[in-house]
Amino acid sequence: MIPISAYLIVAAVLFGIGTVGVLISRNMIVVFMCVELMLNAANLALIAFSRALNIMDGHVFVFLALAVAAAEAAVGLAIVLAVYRNRETVNIDRFDMMKW
Amino acid sequence: MSSMDITFPAFDLRFMAPEIFLFLWALFVFAYDVTSKRKSSTAAGYLAMLGLMIAGAILAYTNYGQGYGSMFLFEPAAKFFKIIFLGSAFMAIGSSFGITKERIINHRGEFFGLILLSTVGMMFLSSSNELLSLYIGLELTTIPLFVLASFFKDNKLSVEAGIKYFIVGAFSSALLVYGMSFLYGLSGTTDLVQMKINIAMTHLTFKEIGVILVLANVLIIAGLGFKLSLPPFHQWAPDVYEGSPTPIAAFLSVGSKAAGLIAFAKIFVNGLYAFNGPEMAPNDWGILVGILACAAMILGNTVAIRQTNIKRMLAYSSIAQVGYIMIGMVTMNDLGIASVGFYIFAYMFANMGAFAIVAIFEERTGSCEIQSYAGLSHTSPVLATTFAVFLLSLAGIPPLAGFFAKFFVFASAIKMAQADATAGWLYWIVGVGLLTAVFSLYYYANIIKVMFFSKEASPYRVHYTFPSFGIVLIGIAGVIIFGLYPEPILKFASDISLSFGFLP
Amino acid sequence: MTESADIGIVFWVLSFVILVSAFMVVSLKNIFHCALFLIMCLFSVAGIFVLLDAEFLAAAQVLIYVGAVAILMIFAIMLTSNLASRKIRQVNENVSVGVFVSVLFALASIILIAQTHIWHYKTDFTPVENSIVILGKYLMIQYVLPFEVVSILLLASLIGAIVLARKERS
Repeated sequence: MIPISAYLIVAAVLFGIGTVGVLISRNMIVVFMCVELMLNAANLALIAFSRALNIMDGHVFVFLALAVAAAEAAVGLAIVLAVYRNRETVNIDRFDMMKW
Repeated sequence: MSSMDITFPAFDLRFMAPEIFLFLWALFVFAYDVTSKRKSSTAAGYLAMLGLMIAGAILAYTNYGQGYGSMFLFEPAAKFFKIIFLGSAFMAIGSSFGITKERIINHRGEFFGLILLSTVGMMFLSSSNELLSLYIGLELTTIPLFVLASFFKDNKLSVEAGIKYFIVGAFSSALLVYGMSFLYGLSGTTDLVQMKINIAMTHLTFKEIGVILVLANVLIIAGLGFKLSLPPFHQWAPDVYEGSPTPIAAFLSVGSKAAGLIAFAKIFVNGLYAFNGPEMAPNDWGILVGILACAAMILGNTVAIRQTNIKRMLAYSSIAQVGYIMIGMVTMNDLGIASVGFYIFAYMFANMGAFAIVAIFEERTGSCEIQSYAGLSHTSPVLATTFAVFLLSLAGIPPLAGFFAKFFVFASAIKMAQADATAGWLYWIVGVGLLTAVFSLYYYANIIKVMFFSKEASPYRVHYTFPSFGIVLIGIAGVIIFGLYPEPILKFASDISLSFGFLP
Repeated sequence: MTESADIGIVFWVLSFVILVSAFMVVSLKNIFHCALFLIMCLFSVAGIFVLLDAEFLAAAQVLIYVGAVAILMIFAIMLTSNLASRKIRQVNENVSVGVFVSVLFALASIILIAQTHIWHYKTDFTPVENSIVILGKYLMIQYVLPFEVVSILLLASLIGAIVLARKERS
């Protein structure tokens, strides 16, 4: 039997990798992928908790979080396209018109 | 399991009448703008303002109560914050007629409609009573704002603001969901009231959830800290305010911030209050937030001095103001949460008014530099005077509303510190607050000095365009009237603390 | 070999794939390869969902994440980088701070999770039967309000994405 903590630790490591990616990455699309990794870690934790508690509320949470992630992805990539049209680059450290 | 044992709860739609109306009105604004071939540059904006006024009237006649089981809760706190959301959206739309005339040619209906949809999200958020609808409401607030921040899509600064706001927003919501997953795992419920009971029970049984609760709290404070631009999660705010359209920056600094505040109050003051008392206290989130509030006041007020761009200066000023507001949030008595309400109410008039003037000035001159305001009192005395009044209210000069806002926040903290021996750290926070408030006078007064005591007259004569200047007058009226007669708002605000369970 | 031992092997293989592919997403130089590893990672997360008796969510994960979000990203990569295979320096200047903060955080959470035993007290459970039926009831009864608000959210993001991505004729 796999203890629930094992699932939670996988989720925590995945979340950590995602956070590293968001903080160090230079390409906007990679940053965005790392945010998706973080969201997946959160979803994994929610389902593991649901399993441990034997209730289904977490499943509803994950289901709606998936929908929100899709909506966010659509808007985010539209902004990426708008940026690319203006700047011809999607690298974060080129955004130096205003100091960060 | 048969399919017949479904009993639907009472779907009381009447408690959410303002939200439903505003959502339908947003669809109407979208549809009107498309079907009218986008000819008129003002019709969609006036329609959106009319919709907000009708939604406000509906809100005034909606009774308190619960709908959808306990999912939707309409109580004084929700009503108070809904008034702030509607008011800030109204003032943001009113001051954006200049940009929709010149710079947003093709998508005026979408611009105003998305502001309305974001407002709907804030209103759902302020009525939600459990984690899931809180999260969805926060996302509905934020996602339209990503689009609105980058709405000048041919302008490099605006899309840069949009992408920065988007990255920060997506990152913070991931932190928030992960933190919420821990709260759910520890309590086995998403309902905030039930959560308080369950966590206390689990704590009494196992005595070991304290540390993991700290992890959840840190994640949620970080997630909401980004929305509130609380240091160290504030770096995005000046860039996004500078780049995005000025009315949207105003809406971000008041509406979106108020949404973050009510979410914070619901999760921490409502859901985790049991853990702030001296007898249980396995983790004291109050001290952590208090330290962040001090950081906000110090950093916001000192960095604001160095700014040459008025929008960046107002961004740092808003970071500092959040620090003052969070003092009220960590004060766990009947005055604390009421002073948060009063503060954000007074802040709405002063800040939306100041941004409206920045928008008018930017529309006329194309500049946001503080230096270009030099000598404005010679050519446009009314504009310069009203701007000075807003800045003085932000600085907290009596008898304007901003003074009472700061006064009540400090008074609540001192009352708490006197009543509770373990809350002595609140004295330190009040000390930092008073000191930085004096400091903040410097940069607010600097702008007034530039406007009034410059030898040469300004080359610009600013015309008073109709809706924008109406917004300025509303702001002035609010700042002065609620400065002289704060009682009605205070009475309303003390109802907020009743809905959070603090008895006077 | 017992059934639970099989589950154990599947779990360890899936977690290994998740963590390695997530690491690849962060460290690879070619964005297109990053996207492919992201898809692999999301697939394995769906596998873990199945182990946790969330079959419906596993399907939804594959449909929404792998089918929609990841494909959208590949579109964005193709539209924005002139050469999808061009190698770039991937990291920005605050590498050390970022790595430090995140590793510290991950370590802290691992230790805290491993030390917290309250979830171990409740391991003796039978999986929920008909989980899809229960999920449907939850969505239609208890959680119908957030479910409806998500539809508003989807509408708002649809309109927003179109406004931003559209090319204007001047």
